[in-house]
Amino acid sequence: MNFSSFIQYIASGTAYTLGVTLVALPSGLVLGVLFALLYVYGGRVVSRLMSLYSTVMRGIPPIVLLFILYFVMSGSVNLSPFWAGSISLGIISSAYQMEIVRGAILAVSGEQMLAARAIGMSTLEAIRYVILPQTLRLAIPPWSNEAAIVIKDSSLVYALGVPEILRRAQLISASTQQPFLAYISAAVIYFALVFIANRLLARLERRLTIPSNP
Amino acid sequence: MKKSLVLLVVLTVLGGILAGCASQGKQSVLDKITKDGKVMVGTSADYPPYEYVDDAGNKTGFDIDLMTEIAKRMGVELVWVDMPFDSLVAAVQEGKIDMSISCFNYSAERDEQVDFSDAYYTSEDAFLVKSGFAGAIVNPEDVAKYKIGVQSGTVQDDWLTTTLVEAGLVEDANISRYERVDQAALDLNAGRIEVLMADYVPAQALVKQYPDFQVVYHAVLSTGPLNIVLPDGDAKLQAEINKVIKALQDEGFIDTLATKYFSE
Repeated sequence: MNFSSFIQYIASGTAYTLGVTLVALPSGLVLGVLFALLYVYGGRVVSRLMSLYSTVMRGIPPIVLLFILYFVMSGSVNLSPFWAGSISLGIISSAYQMEIVRGAILAVSGEQMLAARAIGMSTLEAIRYVILPQTLRLAIPPWSNEAAIVIKDSSLVYALGVPEILRRAQLISASTQQPFLAYISAAVIYFALVFIANRLLARLERRLTIPSNP
Repeated sequence: MKKSLVLLVVLTVLGGILAGCASQGKQSVLDKITKDGKVMVGTSADYPPYEYVDDAGNKTGFDIDLMTEIAKRMGVELVWVDMPFDSLVAAVQEGKIDMSISCFNYSAERDEQVDFSDAYYTSEDAFLVKSGFAGAIVNPEDVAKYKIGVQSGTVQDDWLTTTLVEAGLVEDANISRYERVDQAALDLNAGRIEVLMADYVPAQALVKQYPDFQVVYHAVLSTGPLNIVLPDGDAKLQAEINKVIKALQDEGFIDTLATKYFSE
């Protein structure tokens, strides 16, 4: 077997890699934005709860949460390996994305909220029309970091046997006894995915730049 | 006060989830297999020649063929679940899969978590020599005195490396490693090596092929008995699997498979 047939065999696992990423990243974003808003504007108790969530979820290695969801909780919820992996990565990513968005919210000066309230906007309106549009733009650069991490962390579902890029690399490495080619192929594919994702995000960032606020 | 309330809620929810794990029914997995008409079998397809993927990406190997036949005899469809080796025992334990065949050896530690079928195959190792061999092999370590050949990457290769090379009994360069056992047999016949270490089953096949060859020593050195991993305490399923294994052994089906996979 030559390099291109290695790439071909391993790349057919890309669908799973993208699948896990496309579940984990957006669900983490939705939760992350929601939790960040609750953290900043939710009052003392909610704020403490969000802080606890962030600390716990960032303290658990993704693979441990994956095993807990798949093996330990199998009596209550019977998840397929794909969903156990996607959900656990989504939960952990939500904690990181929450911190990214929270940082961005704090970067938008707090006086803007006061000003918005002073001209008669409700807090929700101020968040919707003043705070979030700026926050989400500011969050893109650090968020592209998180996107790269989730793409690569999706390889962890190999531990449950999801035939994604890394697992396919292991299988072909064993059957051909050519680990070097197998893992180099996997590395090339991961690199291509992260490279493309970061390029797309950089383009998005440029397009969304507010001209007066470069 | 509020904090302790939150903690209480969290603990109650967690407790409920964990209790859910413990209260699984005691119905035999065999009933489930028969009812669904399919058996979910876990394997880690990265261990040739027992289980691996061929160039077309299909699972193949000794264990794969054996399990295919077992499922056929049970009259159910076979569904393979590929998983890294480390995850297999936990997956059987939690009922994610019905059983697992993946070159498992019995171990007392694993036996506390899951059950084992009877051994379907006992992998023995053999030393082959050509007639006219003047030496003597009483203990397995005695082969260190001769020029040894082995198939590379096999359990026999591992055994030679750990027992002889790492113990300093022989130089690594004195062991000839071949891609296939039949290539090693050619060199034994030609006198380039004096002893060939191989799995006992293919070794016997080689003796038939080369009447000059003989097995001077065979014993369990590198692998030992292989068992299928079954859910803990499921006597009904265990009895059924053991029955099929026994039948396949009596018919010589398993020896045929061993010759097919361990000598190429």
